[in-house]
Formats: sequence, C-alpha cells, structure tokens
Amino acid sequence: MTPLRVLVADDDPASRTIVGAMLRNAGYAVTLVADGVQAWAALTGENPPAIALLDWMMPGLAGPEVIARLTARDTSTPTYVILLTSRDSSADIVAGLRVGADDYVTKPADEDELIARVNVGARVVQLQGALADRVRRLEEALASVKALQTLLPMCAYCKAVRNDQNYWERVETYFHEHSGVQFSHSYCPPCYERFVRPQLAALDEASHAAEPERQT
Amino acid sequence: MNDVVLDLAVVDRLRQLTPTGEPDVLANVLSLFLQEGRRRIGGIHLACRTGDAAEVHRVAHSLKGSAGNIGATALYLVCREIDDRASEGDMSGAALLVDALDREYARVEAEIARLMG
Repeated sequence: MTPLRVLVADDDPASRTIVGAMLRNAGYAVTLVADGVQAWAALTGENPPAIALLDWMMPGLAGPEVIARLTARDTSTPTYVILLTSRDSSADIVAGLRVGADDYVTKPADEDELIARVNVGARVVQLQGALADRVRRLEEALASVKALQTLLPMCAYCKAVRNDQNYWERVETYFHEHSGVQFSHSYCPPCYERFVRPQLAALDEASHAAEPERQT
Repeated sequence: MNDVVLDLAVVDRLRQLTPTGEPDVLANVLSLFLQEGRRRIGGIHLACRTGDAAEVHRVAHSLKGSAGNIGATALYLVCREIDDRASEGDMSGAALLVDALDREYARVEAEIARLMG
C-alpha cells in the first residue's frame, strides 16, 4: 500500500523539519511548504495530500483562511485539516474549529500526540473514501434501475418486448440485459393444468397406442 | 521562573527523531534556531524602539515557537511574556523584558555551542 501523504505548512523551518521527521518515522509521505499560498496550491493541485497540518500564523494566507477556502469547496473527498497552534491560545483553537478545522495540535508538538491525531485523520480519510466509493456504486445501480422505468412496448400475444434498438426480443432477454436478473424456467399451477397436464396425457395416450403395434 | 536553559529530554527526543538515511534532525534544528534567532532578536529590538507592538508580537511569537521546539524553556517563557503583552498593545515593560530576552538568548547560544562542540 502506498503511504498516505500529509502536508505540513509552517513558516518556521525548524518546526517543519521536526514535524516532517515525526510523520516520516510513523510511515507517512510528507510534503513541506512554508506558507498558506503554497499549501493551497498543493491541496488543490494534482494528487493532493489527504491530510493537512496548517500553522495558525503564516505569511500570505494564514491557516484559518486556507481552512475557510477548503471548506467552501464542493468535493466528495475533503481534506482532513489539523491546525497547529501555540499551547496558550484557546481562543485561536475555538476559532479554528469554527471555520472548519477537524482537529488541532498545540506547539511544540508532542510526537505521540501528533501521530495519534494524524492516525485518527487517516481513519476518517479512509472511511470517507470507502463511503464515496459506495455512493458511486449506488448511483450506477440507480441509473440501471431507471432504465427499467421507461414505458416498455410489449406484444399482447407472445409477450415479446421492443427494446431500445427497436428489435423485438424475449422478455427474459430484455430484463437480463437491463438489470442483471437471471431467469429460471418453470410453470405456475394454472399453466400446469392448462398446458402441461394435457401434454402429459397426450404423451401417455400415444405411448399406449404405440405399444400394441410393437407387439405385432 | 523556570530556569532551564535547554531541556535535555527535548534535545534527546530530537536526536532520536532522525529518519534512517536522512540528515540529523537535531543538528539541523539547532542550526536553524541560531540562523533565525539572531535576526529575530534584532527584529524585536528594532520594533521596540519604534513602538511597533504588532511587529513585536509577530516576531516574539515566532521566537517563542523556535524556543519551544528545542526545549529552551527560560527563553520560551520570556518570549511568551513579551508576546502576550505586545498582542494587547502593552509596551510598558518592554525595555526590561528585552534585556531578559538578550540574557536568555545568550545562554541558549552558549549551551548549543557546548552541545554541538
């Protein structure tokens, strides 16, 4: 499995180095950037990191501004955002969570706590991915169900149906192609009485009639 | 006031952080601290002289973060005091605090020099 990619945006190079090393030791792939503008570019570019650690105070775009932009996007795979903030700024933490951060880690970061919180993010990202996949499959299934809801011309005598290409085909062929339904052939009790029993009787009579001939 | 110049537990954790086959994290972080540190101390002096509380807050906040990273506890506490006051526009005790800042920074520098030998 390819390691999950985590973005670290912090204008302090020492903080970036430390947090980057902690994440690499825990098995994550890491992208380091120095400000919010680069963070935004990385998160909206090709193969964006699934998790972002954003410093609160950064030149250009600050952490909360990047978060506000991220939450304004309409996407089935949103970025899991962890805010990096000073230990003594609970007002910043509340404001960060209000604009849409998923979690926060206080600086200087404790390695065990940071990794535990990023692991939570990885679980959420995985669940979101599985959910988006499930929704996509359900949408596909719904589309094929819709194909069966249209008005279907059917022969009143032989029950053949006219398909989308204007050909008449057996009803079981049509339904098999449009829904994946498999038919097994059988008969209902009234049809047994009406068709099967007379045929069996006729067969029986024919074999009885044939027997004396063989004896001669 | 906590008088720890460099918390050796923090330094040890940084030493153990280096991923295999990569440059030494501790040496890297300490040299980054020294590179940025002098410039930031200068920035705080200048902003104090011009009475620019917003700039004092910004630079002291950065230096506080760097000090926290390397376990420079005493320096961290002075930076926090300056940062908190400046963020409220309070520059009254600035001169005394900047003196303390210079002293603590010099002690951290000496300790790093000893450590990196």
